[in-house]
Amino acid sequence: MERIEPITPQSGNLLLMVGTVKGAFIFHSDGNRRAFHIAGPYFKGQEVFSAAYLPDKKAPRMLMGVKSQHWGSTVCWSDDFGANWHEPAEGNVRYPVSSGLSLNAIWALEPAPLVGPNVVFAGADPAALYRSDDRGETFQPNDALLNHPERPFWMPGFGGLCLHTVMPDPRDPSRIIIGISAAGIYRSDDSGKSWTRRNSGIRMDDAGPPNAPHFRPQCAHKMRYAAKNPRRIYLQNHPGIYRSDDGGDSWVDIAKGLPSVFGFPLVAHPRCADTAYVIPLTADNFRVPIEGAAKVWRTRDAGESWAPLGSGLPQQDAYFSVLRDAFIADSLDPAGLYFGTRNGQLFASSDEGESWRTIADWLPAVLCVKAQLVA
Amino acid sequence: MRFHLPSALRKWAGNNEVLEMSLPLDLRMTIAEAVIMLGRDYPGIRQRVLDDQGNIRHHVNVFVDGENVRFAQGALTQVTHASEVRIYPAMSGG
Repeated sequence: MERIEPITPQSGNLLLMVGTVKGAFIFHSDGNRRAFHIAGPYFKGQEVFSAAYLPDKKAPRMLMGVKSQHWGSTVCWSDDFGANWHEPAEGNVRYPVSSGLSLNAIWALEPAPLVGPNVVFAGADPAALYRSDDRGETFQPNDALLNHPERPFWMPGFGGLCLHTVMPDPRDPSRIIIGISAAGIYRSDDSGKSWTRRNSGIRMDDAGPPNAPHFRPQCAHKMRYAAKNPRRIYLQNHPGIYRSDDGGDSWVDIAKGLPSVFGFPLVAHPRCADTAYVIPLTADNFRVPIEGAAKVWRTRDAGESWAPLGSGLPQQDAYFSVLRDAFIADSLDPAGLYFGTRNGQLFASSDEGESWRTIADWLPAVLCVKAQLVA
Repeated sequence: MRFHLPSALRKWAGNNEVLEMSLPLDLRMTIAEAVIMLGRDYPGIRQRVLDDQGNIRHHVNVFVDGENVRFAQGALTQVTHASEVRIYPAMSGG
């Protein structure tokens, strides 16, 4: 793969922002997606949990949530496609002393253009939501969530008590849906002034914590809005796959036909509301492709049925896992799909998942992948 | 009091390896308070040595007069105007 730095993308080029446990990389291609070029690593030796792109045509900006094992976590930004990164001296995601909490990692960065042209939300571990009104340079915590009465019942999962998914409603600026592991799905309909659990219909066999046995802590792994229909949401839960057609008020099980209900990422098709993709793994206690054969599964009827897509993916002795933010679709037609593995591969499809190829190998373990078409 | 910085932190201290902070002869304070005081001029140092609660970050080693505070009173370890403070990133990673 050709190395091209600095990146000077043209309108219509595709960028893949890839965060790993030892830095970030940017892959770029023209719109036909036949050849990708690599740039990076950026933030050498640091974990890049999250990435976002602010697609302002005159002043595009890249954001990354960077964690140094030594020196803490910060949102960094670049206004020149990665040639220079700005890291604020004082940090920019901080917990109030009164909370008793300290930042571990920044799991989500999500622009919210309907809320405001400069608004970016950040999801953090321990579970907290932050809002920036200056394109990701400074952030303020959401007090209602920080002081939520159910917080004492939340329990960290293996990855921490992470607020990993932030979904500003694309039509209603006052509505936001978030996912916390392990607490569940919460929604605000009043611009973050209050938050209510939205887990009705999601199965949970285990009892709640001793201090609240009635509380069923859900572990939402990834949610995505269906294309053109923010009332429809797809969910890959820790156990189970679900769909909501009422903005999260209720959920229906759509796992029938899949070989496993366990997995991390889920991707919705960029234009077809009935189409979504998951990557089933064997089980909670063995997080690898089933029988060593890597497959992406697709539904084209909103979860009524599923079919495997494996052409070009390793079909034997493939023992990797794919994390919740490491699978993404682009906005081109036909849709491109991309996923990175904890073993350091980056796979791509330019035909809606029908066929796949490896566009990078030997990367550090991949934490997140974001795709963005340059305006 | 003098702070000896590792190379990774010097960009937050004007590329200085050593920072000197003048204190009254009779003043005693904790190492965390000293870092917060240093942070008035060098906020990037404070941010990277202390977490949001003012505790020394888990993978940062701070030595006061030759003793690792992790094995003393941690962030509450006492320092004086004459203390030599050395900051090291822990040997960690994979």
